[in-house]
Amino acid sequence: MAAKDLGGGAGNNTVIGQSILISGKLTGDEDLTVQGRVEGELTLTRTLIVEPSGVVKANVAVKNAIISGVVVGNINATESVELTREGRMVGDIRAPRVIIVDGASFRGRVDMGDVEPGRLPAERPQRPVIRPQVRPGAAPPRPPPPPARSAPTAVERRPSAPPAPPSAPPRPPPPPAATAAKVEAPTPPLVGAGAKKKVIIKKKTK
Amino acid sequence: MANTVIGSSIVIDGEISGDEDLVIQGTVKGKISLKESLYVEGSGVVEADIETQNVEIAGRVTGNIAASDKVELKSECRVVGDIKAPRILIADGASFKGNVDMDEKAR
Repeated sequence: MAAKDLGGGAGNNTVIGQSILISGKLTGDEDLTVQGRVEGELTLTRTLIVEPSGVVKANVAVKNAIISGVVVGNINATESVELTREGRMVGDIRAPRVIIVDGASFRGRVDMGDVEPGRLPAERPQRPVIRPQVRPGAAPPRPPPPPARSAPTAVERRPSAPPAPPSAPPRPPPPPAATAAKVEAPTPPLVGAGAKKKVIIKKKTK
Repeated sequence: MANTVIGSSIVIDGEISGDEDLVIQGTVKGKISLKESLYVEGSGVVEADIETQNVEIAGRVTGNIAASDKVELKSECRVVGDIKAPRILIADGASFKGNVDMDEKAR
């Protein structure tokens, strides 16, 4: 009961009020809101919020930092650092995620660590592997759709059939099996039965 | 909520000064000087010299206290150090070791 009376209903968060100056070392395992001044060293396992009236002149190590006030010093965050529109900072930022919003003022270095080392190597091998697979794989899938749509599309495409033939000539370069499939693909509306036969041929080739 | 609150998991090693009320639920070592009131809650631990207007202590304080108005030791507090203030209240159940000086001339 005494605590309630004293605390005035204070929540879990720590708040450093506007007129407060802390100089020295500050550590903690909870969110910290700074409206006043903190100088020295600041270490948290959670989030530091520097409000527009707040001034932090310290080396900061936190999980997240949201800066709307002034920070002079280096920030080392395990998760993210966000400089909001009102944020001003001089110092180096080291965090995997760094967000600097339009209007923020910042001078210093940013280090996001290795730029996601896992992703780039993963994408590079995939692309070359997929391309060769797509060429042979693409031919079989093309025939199936035409026969299904052949009935309705045939009526619609017949008037537009003329343009299809010119498109066929450029395709000859690929191997004969592929050319047969591709030639038919554009012209499925003309012969639905032919498409089915060709599908069978492809299966045999496989 | 305009007050400054030092939460229970916070440890400050250094100096705190200001013109507003301060609530301590965590740990402060060093020095505290305020122009308003200091509240050391049950979970609060202060190892510092304190200079304020008012102090209310329900937690643990080790250090000298100088208040321009009042020092109040609540029933569950543990205080070691000298207290200097025109008004000093010690509640039943409080634990205190040190000198008391209520001499108003000292102000």
